Amino acid sequence: MAFEKRRANSKQEIPTASMPDIVFMLLLFFMVTTTLREVDVLVKFKLPEAKAIEKIENKRLISYIWVGNNGKIQINDSLVKLDDVEPIMYAKRQSLANVIVSLRVDRGADMGLITDIQQELRKAYCLRLNYSTNLKI
Amino acid sequence: MIKKKKIPEASIPTSSMADIAFLLLLFFLVATVIDVDTGIGLTLPEYVEDVNTVKVPKSRMAAILINANGDVLLDNKPISVVQIKDNLKRRIISKIDLPSNKKLIVSVKTDRKTRYNIYIQALDQIKQAYFEVRDEYSNQNFGSNYNKLVGTQQKDVQKVVPIIISLAEPETVKK
Repeated sequence: MAFEKRRANSKQEIPTASMPDIVFMLLLFFMVTTTLREVDVLVKFKLPEAKAIEKIENKRLISYIWVGNNGKIQINDSLVKLDDVEPIMYAKRQSLANVIVSLRVDRGADMGLITDIQQELRKAYCLRLNYSTNLKI
Repeated sequence: MIKKKKIPEASIPTSSMADIAFLLLLFFLVATVIDVDTGIGLTLPEYVEDVNTVKVPKSRMAAILINANGDVLLDNKPISVVQIKDNLKRRIISKIDLPSNKKLIVSVKTDRKTRYNIYIQALDQIKQAYFEVRDEYSNQNFGSNYNKLVGTQQKDVQKVVPIIISLAEPETVKK
């Protein structure tokens, strides 16, 4: 008995004509959602973890302050001194009235420094604050 | 007989378009950072030069003190960080029916040398206590969790269970 190779009569091709369209749609999505990293973080930090955290919906309002494990403060693209925090943040508040300041602080930092920064923020009228944390699982 | 002239086909080769698009896609996939900033929100009080202190009755206060070693005192009694939540929850619930000027105030005071991590842990516990009370209250009264309520209902819950956290300045003596 001879074996016969069975083959379907229909075409065996996946239509690829629309593939570029699909890929372009994906591409467009990623192009729109991408926010390229604007700043280089100059300090080393490891965020603390917490459970009761909220998301900040409006990313446009956020302004970051980094505090590294060696107590260095970074705003925008450069390291700043504690005394410079107030004028910089005041200028930010002038351009964006309801700015949210997100503190990205290393978990080993001293509270003294954090309080000093908070005092400066109060003087600059940046009163909405966010302690940036990762989710504890 | 006239020979029909063959018209050369004028077309751009599109077979490589998909490859090019894939390359671009890959670039954006790699470069995208979809990081939503998460954290513990807080609103600072306005800065005033001379602070005129307001006396608050002790029954309203829950004073949390954290020293440089990370030991926690809640109303002068030593307590571990993970116990703060349950302790506060009881006190928040007991004040749920009181008017808004008698609700609990949680005060957090740290040393200048306290590590930030412990402060966040304590703050997290406080927030968790409040969130759980809010959820319980919403479940009792509106039948679903707090963050599933509509705006006006959320406002009602906020009125009944307001989050009042006072950040005391650390002792400047040890600077």
